[in-house]
Amino acid sequence: MLSLLIWVPIIGAGVIAFAPGEVSGARARLGAIGVSGFLIGLSALLLFQFDLGNPEMQFQEYIPWIESLGLNYQLGVDGLSLLLLSLNSLLILISILSSKIDIERPRLFFSLILLIAGGVAGAFVAQNLLLFFLFYELELIPFYLLVSIWGGSRRSYAATKFLIYTAVSGACILLAFLGLVWFSEASTFAYDTLMGQMLPLGLQFVLLALMLVGFGIKIPLVPFHTWLPDTYVEASTPVAILLGGILAKLGTYGIFRFGLGLFPEAWSNLSPYLAIWAAISIMYGAMAAIAQKDIKRMVAYSSIGHMGYILLGGAALTSLSVIGSISQMVAHGLILAVLFNLVGVVEAKVGTRELDVLNGLMNPLRGLPATSSLLVMGAMASAGIPGLVGFIAEFMIFQGSYERFPIQTLLAVVGTGLTAVYFVILLNRTCFGKLDNSTSYYPEVTFGEQVPALILATLIIFLGLQPTWLVRWIEPTGTAMVAAVSTESAAQVATLSVPVVE
Amino acid sequence: MELQYFLLLAAALFCIGIYGLVTSRNAIRVLMSIELLLNAVTLNLMAFSNYLDPMVIRGQVFTVFVITIAAAESAVGLAIVLSIYRNRDTVDMEQFNLLKW
Amino acid sequence: MDFANLSAQLNAGAILPEGIVIITLLVTLVWDLIVGRSSTKVTPYVAIVGLLIATGTLFLQWDTTEPISFLGSFNGDAISLIFRGIIAISAAVTIPISIRYVEQSGTSLAEFITILLTATVGGMFLSGADELVMIFVSLETLSISSYLLTGYMKRDPRSNEAALKYLLIGAASSAIFLYGISLLYGLSGGETRLSAITASIISNGLDESLGLVIALVFVIAGIAFKIAAVPFHQWTPDVYEGSPTPVVAFLSVGSKAAGFALAVRLLVSAFPLVSDQWRFVLTALAILSMVLGNVVALAQTSMKRLLAYSSIAQAGFLMIGLIVGTDAGYSSMVFYLMIYLFMNLGGFACVILFTLRTGTDEINEYSGLYQKDPLLTLALSICLLSLGGIPPLAGFFGKIYLFWAGWQAGAYGLVLIGLITSVISIYYYIRVVKTMVVKEPQEMSEAVANYPEIQWNLTGMRPLQVSIVVALVFTSLAGVLANPLFNLATGSVSKTPMLQATEPMTPVVSQAPEQLPMPTVESVDL
Repeated sequence: MLSLLIWVPIIGAGVIAFAPGEVSGARARLGAIGVSGFLIGLSALLLFQFDLGNPEMQFQEYIPWIESLGLNYQLGVDGLSLLLLSLNSLLILISILSSKIDIERPRLFFSLILLIAGGVAGAFVAQNLLLFFLFYELELIPFYLLVSIWGGSRRSYAATKFLIYTAVSGACILLAFLGLVWFSEASTFAYDTLMGQMLPLGLQFVLLALMLVGFGIKIPLVPFHTWLPDTYVEASTPVAILLGGILAKLGTYGIFRFGLGLFPEAWSNLSPYLAIWAAISIMYGAMAAIAQKDIKRMVAYSSIGHMGYILLGGAALTSLSVIGSISQMVAHGLILAVLFNLVGVVEAKVGTRELDVLNGLMNPLRGLPATSSLLVMGAMASAGIPGLVGFIAEFMIFQGSYERFPIQTLLAVVGTGLTAVYFVILLNRTCFGKLDNSTSYYPEVTFGEQVPALILATLIIFLGLQPTWLVRWIEPTGTAMVAAVSTESAAQVATLSVPVVE
Repeated sequence: MELQYFLLLAAALFCIGIYGLVTSRNAIRVLMSIELLLNAVTLNLMAFSNYLDPMVIRGQVFTVFVITIAAAESAVGLAIVLSIYRNRDTVDMEQFNLLKW
Repeated sequence: MDFANLSAQLNAGAILPEGIVIITLLVTLVWDLIVGRSSTKVTPYVAIVGLLIATGTLFLQWDTTEPISFLGSFNGDAISLIFRGIIAISAAVTIPISIRYVEQSGTSLAEFITILLTATVGGMFLSGADELVMIFVSLETLSISSYLLTGYMKRDPRSNEAALKYLLIGAASSAIFLYGISLLYGLSGGETRLSAITASIISNGLDESLGLVIALVFVIAGIAFKIAAVPFHQWTPDVYEGSPTPVVAFLSVGSKAAGFALAVRLLVSAFPLVSDQWRFVLTALAILSMVLGNVVALAQTSMKRLLAYSSIAQAGFLMIGLIVGTDAGYSSMVFYLMIYLFMNLGGFACVILFTLRTGTDEINEYSGLYQKDPLLTLALSICLLSLGGIPPLAGFFGKIYLFWAGWQAGAYGLVLIGLITSVISIYYYIRVVKTMVVKEPQEMSEAVANYPEIQWNLTGMRPLQVSIVVALVFTSLAGVLANPLFNLATGSVSKTPMLQATEPMTPVVSQAPEQLPMPTVESVDL
């Protein structure tokens, strides 16, 4: 079942890339849509078959692989991975739909996207550290090619920057994994065996720090974020959706699964600092976004801030905040995707992303009324207006974190306020105002181009009104994660009455 | 006679060979320096063989092999020098700069 | 004495694979003499079949209980079998990729194959050589044939120059190596069998002498030249750039594998007394190779030079396995070599194909190749990415295993540098991929714009295509289906008594065959 999620897109990618004879772009696109539709169906099936009361791994699969390396093909999902998996399937479809109809080199494009779909799904369900790393690194080349072939004018620079950062992140993570396995004297990289490791605290700090740097680059958190604006902006719309919607989630997923899951004691000791880090990220992201003149860049910086919320929730370690963080991963994926999609539409129709040039898109006759109203909705969701999914997630995080880190949480709330500020700027400049009379009619947005945003908007509103549909899958896992941390740190304190701090 | 004298002589020969190898500009001289190195080895082997291994004389057997192979090596070396001379009209090492060092 | 008895006494069966290669060599030569120029239709295939049969016989000898042959000169143990197999296969892959290249240059193919097979025989003997004279002779067989191969394009001044440089540096380094060997012979009081040297040195009371360290340094210089480790690497880029590309392919894999086989056997069985020292020296060499190889490769504009520096760096990675000296270390090295064989040869095959079509090997000239030749682009990309260690290609698994073994043995610094430098290496490998795949049609280079139609029916093109596809398939799947290779690698180490002697102070003297008593040697103090 889980294997299907990984292998169907990969095989589909192979077929699209290597099918003999001439394959037209439309056919390739149709094939890719078919595969991603299948993925969505499969994810829906998983969602409904998932046993809500069970916080353990479900749908486990196990095939022995290379024993001498401790590498096994071991899959499973819990509440954390399940939703991200579904998000992945959905965003792959959205991304394919928002690609241009007449995109250049369609076969390569769609097969790379499907390759990413398979790789990301693999990373989310891998229950073996090395297997996770394998899938994690599998993204590197497809993303590099996607950015550098179909990107904007500075794409080469952006792609190289992305490559370097990501490769460094991979090295850090591999180092952390190797260290973890070796020092805990395990003979395997299996997640469940490593869970029970009892390393000295000092070592845990080192390994956790390596992981934080590694995943922090991917997420990205300040100060490892400098690749993000360039890459997000230079990438074409579908790729930007994947980058922000899925790839960044690999980082947060990694931090939750491996950072929090494997080093609970170190994590709870570090959590005040992590919360401060999160608050800095939030503030920085918001401030930087305010200063931007380019709407895509603005959205990109907003992403940094939103990632901070996730870290904050993880640091606070109450069950509410952790659930909130996981919801935020999903919510952010949806919202960022809708924003990038709409920005892409605006750019395609108007021909610019400059805040100073854009004006009055709301104009019902000559503007882009449907697009701009969706943009308003997306911005509201991102800014955390009640009734939309972003609010639910952020509210849970703040509520859960306030009791532990009041100051950091307050800073984060201020950050939310700033988010509202820059989105107001954005909306005010682009959607409202008077459209210049000299400007001719913008090309009409076809229904096909509108579909992805509509799907996402429906989900954003639906989940905003009915948050239980989001939270019910997460709840057992989130609670279990927090419980595991508290019992384990209690156990650690009990065994080591003198805490080992170097 | 002491073994050391032979070894010292061989070492001196070896050093001269290395010196020639480093300083020569003419390819033939470099080849000759290499021969010098091999002769130092031969001397070493003979001395050891005489003093330490007089029964089985493996060193002397070794020496025969070294001499044979040295001959093969210089044959190939000279052949290559010859063909480079035909193409370039020179055997000066400094002139061989088609490939950057 | 009748032949069967003699051969039984010498255990000549152990060198059956080499015998087959030699017979193949003679057949090739004689057939070429008889038939003349048109022999090119047959000889390469005869040679390939011969090499594959030799590999098959190696496989049959896997469980041999009597590895020592020729009075202790040759040791056909499991690790030598693996190395001989790698060398034979690398030659078997080199031949199909060289047919077209040699044809097009207008030189004789049969001679080329003969020399290549000679080099292969030398390398195979070197992998099993267990005695100083044997080591020297087989090393020189390999080296001298390599010099000839390097200069094979005798009308091309670049090939001449590469050959001369290779010869001069190679001959000098083997002379230095030989000097070290002669000191070893003296220190051991006239012992030439590797397995007996250490015992003799100890019984002579010279186990802490300076002479041993000097011998070690000289020997390492020779080995490092063969495996192209920094700072003994200066010949590599020049030779790689100047020589015919198929030769480079063989040098970078076959000759390097032979060098590693020599290193393992010589260092482990003859220098256990100074194992700390040689590990230290090799660590330094490995670090230098990884750093310098990868960093300098960044600046290269010629594909062949790029591959030269990359192969220097790969040697550095391989040395990690040798340095840590654990079972996992050795087997990870063997495993990586097996994978390296295919990915590197695949890369060179692609470079050859491109050079044949366009006559250049500048990286810039690859721009926009994907439009003209998707197969070549795909194969070259996969091989290069695998060299860079991108999952899920074979190279990734090889590197992970090396790092894993290194980390297990506590070589944290080495693994750390390995990781950092492989991140650097991704950059230059991907630069080539980017040039081929990313460039727009209008940025296409001139060479690619004038890319000739693909004519697979020319002599030698079909084998080239087949070997590219084989390398491509192997490189993409060997990692995922790595278990058989893993078992082979670990088996070769665990079945080799030499590598199992964990205690360095107890040399494996018992290996020497009892039925052949060696004359006792009276030891004389130095």
